[in-house]
Amino acid sequence: MSKMVTLSIDGRSVTVPENTLVVDAAKMNGIDIPVFCYHPKMKPVGMCRMCLVEIGRPMIDRATNQPVLEDNGSPKIQFSPKLETSCTTPVSEGMVVLTRNDKVEAARKEIIEFILTSHPLDCPICDKGGECPLQNLTMRFGSKEGRFLFDEKMHLAKHVPLGELIWLDRERCIQCARCVRFQHDVVDDPVLDFHNRGRSLEIMTFSEPGFGSYFSGNTTDICPVGALTTADFRFGARPWEMKPAASLCAQCPVGCNLEYTVRREAKSGGATVIKRALPRQNESVNEIWICDKGRFGYHYTQDPARLGQPLVRRDGELVPVTFEEALKIIAEKAAHQPFQILAGGKLSTEDLAALRGLAQESGGKAWLHTYMSGGFTPHYGLSADANLGALGQGDAVLVAASDLHEEAPIWWLRVKQAAERGAALIVMNPRPTRLKKYARHVIRYAYGEESLAVAAMAEENLALAGEEIRAAAETLKSARNLVIFYGSEGLGLTGSKGLEQALADLLERGGFTGRENSGLIGVWHAPNLQAGFELGLPPAEGLADLPAGGVLYLAAADPAGDDPRQAAYFSGREFVIVQDLFLTESAKLADVVLPVLAYTEREGTFVSGERRLQRYYPALAARPGLKADFALTALIAKSLGYELEGRAASLALEKLAASQPAFEGLNYLKLAEVHEQWPQVGGSDLYYGGTSYANRQGLGKHLSRAAKPEPDAAPLREGIRDVPKNALRLVPHTRLYDAGSTFAPSRLLDQRRARRQLRIHPRSAEPLGLQQGSQALIELEGAPFTAEIVLDETIPGGTALYPRSLGVPMNAPFHAVVKPVFDKSAS
Amino acid sequence: MNTILNDYADEVQAILARYPQDQKRSAVMPLIHLVQARDGYVTKQAMTEIAEIVGISVTDVASVVGFYTLYHEEKGGRYHLQVCTDLPCALRGADEFLAKLCENIGIKVGETTPDGVITIEEVTCLAGCHHAPMFQVQGDGAITYHENQSVDSALEIIAELRRKAAAQEAE
Ligand code: SF4
Ligand code: SF4
Ligand code: FES
Ligand code: FES
Repeated sequence: MSKMVTLSIDGRSVTVPENTLVVDAAKMNGIDIPVFCYHPKMKPVGMCRMCLVEIGRPMIDRATNQPVLEDNGSPKIQFSPKLETSCTTPVSEGMVVLTRNDKVEAARKEIIEFILTSHPLDCPICDKGGECPLQNLTMRFGSKEGRFLFDEKMHLAKHVPLGELIWLDRERCIQCARCVRFQHDVVDDPVLDFHNRGRSLEIMTFSEPGFGSYFSGNTTDICPVGALTTADFRFGARPWEMKPAASLCAQCPVGCNLEYTVRREAKSGGATVIKRALPRQNESVNEIWICDKGRFGYHYTQDPARLGQPLVRRDGELVPVTFEEALKIIAEKAAHQPFQILAGGKLSTEDLAALRGLAQESGGKAWLHTYMSGGFTPHYGLSADANLGALGQGDAVLVAASDLHEEAPIWWLRVKQAAERGAALIVMNPRPTRLKKYARHVIRYAYGEESLAVAAMAEENLALAGEEIRAAAETLKSARNLVIFYGSEGLGLTGSKGLEQALADLLERGGFTGRENSGLIGVWHAPNLQAGFELGLPPAEGLADLPAGGVLYLAAADPAGDDPRQAAYFSGREFVIVQDLFLTESAKLADVVLPVLAYTEREGTFVSGERRLQRYYPALAARPGLKADFALTALIAKSLGYELEGRAASLALEKLAASQPAFEGLNYLKLAEVHEQWPQVGGSDLYYGGTSYANRQGLGKHLSRAAKPEPDAAPLREGIRDVPKNALRLVPHTRLYDAGSTFAPSRLLDQRRARRQLRIHPRSAEPLGLQQGSQALIELEGAPFTAEIVLDETIPGGTALYPRSLGVPMNAPFHAVVKPVFDKSAS
Repeated sequence: MNTILNDYADEVQAILARYPQDQKRSAVMPLIHLVQARDGYVTKQAMTEIAEIVGISVTDVASVVGFYTLYHEEKGGRYHLQVCTDLPCALRGADEFLAKLCENIGIKVGETTPDGVITIEEVTCLAGCHHAPMFQVQGDGAITYHENQSVDSALEIIAELRRKAAAQEAE
C-alpha cells in the first residue's frame, strides 16, 4: 500500500496515494481539469498548458523548519506566483489546489485562444465534431474573438495520408504529441514523429508502409482533435447520428471489448450499418486499446456475399428454398441418423453447446475444428480474479511457439507491459520475434522439439539442458506467478498437444496451478475455441478424424476451403448440412446450406483465451428470416424430435451453467456487471481519455477451474523428424493480416495483407536455386501450390516458414520438395 | 548496403565510441552532419542508413533532420546562406536586410540562384543577436558566421562564394 496524501482541491479535502498527479487526484474526486497533451495512460509532458491551476503549499519557517501558522492556528498557505500545470505536479501534504477561480479561468481562455491561433475550427465538417474536447473547451472557455489576425492564420494541408489507413489534417493538429508518445512509449512502433517546429510543426511518418503499426487506429481515438482519422470512417457519419452497441472483437482470442457505432443511412439503401468499431474499456482485457485488425475487421459481417436464404441440392444443383422446406428435408434425411458435427471456434458458447447437445441426442459426436490442442486449459488456465495487468516484479511470463505480435496484438502489448513493470519474460521460439526485446531469457529450439525444450525446463535434472534453459528454470523457481502463452507456430494438432501437456506439467511441477494469477493461455486462431475446450469437444484438424456414415453437419467450419483434399470426405456421407455466413467451399459440397446471423446481429458470449466469459450484444437488427446458430440448431433438433434450448441465448447459457461446473453461477446478468475503472474514459468531460467507450454493459467473468484432465499417453511430437532428401520441412506460422473469410472482406487492409510467401534461410535456398522474390513450386501431394520466396536469415536451416490462411492447404508442418518455377514466357 | 558504414567506417566507429553502448541514438546528430558533408543534404536513403546504425526508426531520424534548420532534406545550392530573423535580430533590421538582399540577388527566401551556388534561408536564433543583421553560411562541410552585415557586405561575401565555387569546379 502506498502512502496516502491529503490535500484540498476547490475547498474539498481529498486523500490520494502519494505521487498521484494533481490532475488525476482531481479527477478521482469528480473534479475535471481540462487537458490536451496529458493522457492518463502516458507519462505527462506538460506541453499544452491547458491544465493550469493555482497551487498553494504550506509555508515553512526556514529557521525552525516548522509550518507557519495563521492567527487562527491553521497552516499559512503560500501560493505560487504563477499557475502550475496540474498534469506534471504530484500532490503533496497540505497542498491547496484551486481549479476554478478567475485567474485559472482567464488562463484557460488565453490558452484556448493561443491554441486556436491557426486552428481552422471547421467543426461542421470535422469527424471529431461532437466528441472533441477542443470544441467543448472552446464553447466553455473560449473568447468570442481571437486577437490574432485572421488573415495570418496558417493554412496547411488538410488531407495528408499517413499511409492508407490513417489520414492527417495538419491544420487541426494542436501539437500535443499524444499520437507520437503512444507510438513510442505504449506500443513501441516509433513510426510517427514531429517534423519541423513552431507553427510549421507537422506529424509525419517515414515507415514503409506509411504509419506501419498494428495499433495505429488508437491514435485516432486519443487525438484530442480531428487531426487523425481512419480511412475507414472519415467523413462517414456524425457522432450524434450513430447509436453505440457493446460488442466484442471476433478476430482473435484476446476478446477485446468493442463498441460498434451504427446508423441507418441512404447510402446503404436505407439499411442500418456499422460505421466504425471503437474500443470499450476493460482494464483487465484490452484497457482502452484495440488493434487495427479488430478496428477494421468487421466488414465481413456486412459483406454483400453473405447468404440470405437456405439452399438445397436438387439434381446436383444448390437451389434456394425457404427455411421450412430446408428443415423438412433435413427431418426426412437425417431422422434416426447420428450427427457427426464439426464446429468452428467463431461460434458463440451457446452455439457450441447446442451443437454438442444435438450430437449427444442423435448418438453422434461434436468436434472442434482446430489445429491447436487445448483440452488442458479448462483446468490449467486462468480463473477467478486473474489479470494480466497485475503481473509485474516477482512474476514470470512464458511465451512458447507464438509470435504474439502477429497472433494476438493486444496480448503482445500486455506482455510487453508486464515485462516493463518487472515481470520476468521467457520467450521460446525457433526464430526471433518482437517480444525478444523485452525478454529476460530467450530459448531457441528446433521446430518439432518444443515439448522437449519445455520438458527440459521442468525436469529436475537440468544438467543436459542448455544454459538459457537452466537460467529460465532458475527464474521460475522464485516466481510468484507464472502465466504461459502457447501458440501454434510450427505446430499442428499433434505437436500442439505435446506442447500443451509439457506446459501443464511445468505449471504443475512449479506449484503454480491454482495460484491467483497463474495459468495456461492458448493463443487460439479463433475467438471462441476456449468455449469448445471448456465443453470438452475433442479437436479435429479436418474431417479425417470424424467417423464415416451418418449426417455430417458443419457449422462455421470450412475444411474444404482450408484444404481441397478434404472434399474427399464429403462423399460417402448420407447427408451433409453446412451452416455458415458464406457459400464456402464446404457449403458448395453440401446437401443443405443454412445461412445464419452474423454475431453483430444477435447476442451471445465468447470465452477469451484468459477464460473470461464475455457478452456481446446485437449491434444491428436481425436480418429478416435468419436465425442465430444455436436457434437454428435447436430447430433442426426439434424437427427430429429432440429438445434443445433455442429461445434465447441467455436461457441457453443458463442451461449450460446448470450442467457445466466451470460455468456454475454465471448468467447474462452477472456478465453485464460493471465496476468503476481507472482511468475514467468515454465521458464528454474535459479530462479527455479518448473516444474509447466507458464500459456500461459488462466486464465479463472468469470461468472457474475445471477438473483435472487425464494426460495423453501417446507420443506427442510432430511426426516428421526425418525429412527426406531434397525435401524441406515446411512449418506454419500465423500472420495478423491474413486472407481468412472473416477478414478478407476488409479491403482497406489489402495492401498490408500478408502474401503467400515462403521464408527461408539464404543458405537453405541457395542449393535449391531459390532466389529472393522468385516463385517456388511446393509439391504437396494432391495439392501443389506456389509461393513467393523471401530470404530470411532468422529461419533455421532446412526449414521454411509458410503463412496460414493465405492459400496454403495445410495448417500443420509437412515436408515437401520445393523448386523454382521457371518463367516459361522468358525461355 | 549501408553506404555510410562503407564510406566512413572509421569515422562512424569514432562517433559511436563517444556514447554509451545503450545510448547509441545520441550519435544521430554527428552522423547526419557526416552525410550532409558528403551529399550536401540528407536523403531518405541516408536517414535509413543512420537509423540502422543507431538502432532507431527512420521516422525518428527524419524528425531530428526536420527539427534543425542546420540539416537539409532537399538538394539546394552549394552554399546555404541562413539569415536569422528572430525577434532580437528583427529589432536590429534583419527583416529588411533579408528582403533587400533577396531583391539584389533576384531570388526569394528558400530559393536557389540559377547557377546553383546560393540558397537563401530564414532561420531562428543563431546566438549572434547583438551583432545583427547576421547570417551563417553552410557549405563544403563547414559553417562560417558573418555578423554586423549590410546588404553590400553580404553581396561581397556572395561574390566570394561564387569565385570559390568556380575555382573548385575548375579543379
Ligand atoms: S495529430 Fe492529434 S494526437 Fe497527434 S500531435 Fe496532433 S493533435 Fe496531438
Ligand atoms: S487483439 Fe485480438 S481481440 Fe483485440 S482487437 Fe486485435 S484481433 Fe481483436
Ligand atoms: S500541459 Fe498539462 S495537459 Fe498539457
Ligand atoms: S535572434 Fe538572431 S541570432 Fe539570436
